[in-house]
Amino acid sequence: MPVENNTAATRPVVYTIRGCDSCVKLMKKFEAEGVDFEERRVELNQATLEEARCYGSLVPIVVWPDGRVEQGFGDSIGCFI
Amino acid sequence: MPAITSVVTAARFAQGLTYADFVAQAAVNQDKFVANGTTVPLSEEDISFFRKAAAHPRGPARILALAEAWCGDVYRELPTAARIAEVTGMELRVFLRDQNLDIMEEFLSNDGKSRAIPVFVFYTKNLEYLTHWTERSASAHAGLAVAMNEAKAKLSLPQSATFGTLPDKDRQALLLEVIARVRPFTDQWRRDAIKEIRQLLANALSIPNAG
Repeated sequence: MPVENNTAATRPVVYTIRGCDSCVKLMKKFEAEGVDFEERRVELNQATLEEARCYGSLVPIVVWPDGRVEQGFGDSIGCFI
Repeated sequence: MPAITSVVTAARFAQGLTYADFVAQAAVNQDKFVANGTTVPLSEEDISFFRKAAAHPRGPARILALAEAWCGDVYRELPTAARIAEVTGMELRVFLRDQNLDIMEEFLSNDGKSRAIPVFVFYTKNLEYLTHWTERSASAHAGLAVAMNEAKAKLSLPQSATFGTLPDKDRQALLLEVIARVRPFTDQWRRDAIKEIRQLLANALSIPNAG
């Protein structure tokens, strides 16, 4: 379900690939900072991958409740999806 | 560089997936593998070269590929390895990186820091290592660097800026600009990968890089 249609969203949605270092680092940062987020793993099914592609070309992708979208994390460009 | 004593034995090699089985088991991007399989930019001259290499007494007979279906570099380049195997009779076996980290450890890149994929390892029939190719062409790496510098200039960001040092807003703008700049070149990257693999094999076998 595209996040922008989820009007009740109160926490960021993070599109990840567990084999992507940048994704793992971002999740560790969020966890360390106590950020409550919903992880959606794009490597597990095509529907989630297509959903992520609506927002960007690189994971991690963070979709914040206010609609802001951020791609990548840290000093790496991230993983192309 | 591969370890002197490799974990890649004949028995282990045989455990790898065939390309068809790899694509069939992929949870994502099956469409990308199929589409890129129909557009592999191997010329007749390339095919002639790879056939000559395969016919060499110490020539490549097996290709080990480390891959994951979610990776953009993999769905761009793995179909090329599959096509090379198809036209030469080399045996291609695909190993999922995250389930075969011991093999991956033999082919780390970036001074041993990165588990970049795909990796294509060429072996003789007796599994003697010949050469390997990793991730993307040198032109792709260079193109990303150029795109980065051009994007920084367009956005009036300091050339010393990195993704890690920029504020979020600038970082996102830079990423979008870089992506837009490199996207038109991905077909060229595929052609350049073939050139690099040819040169690696020509060097390994001490043969002319000619079809």
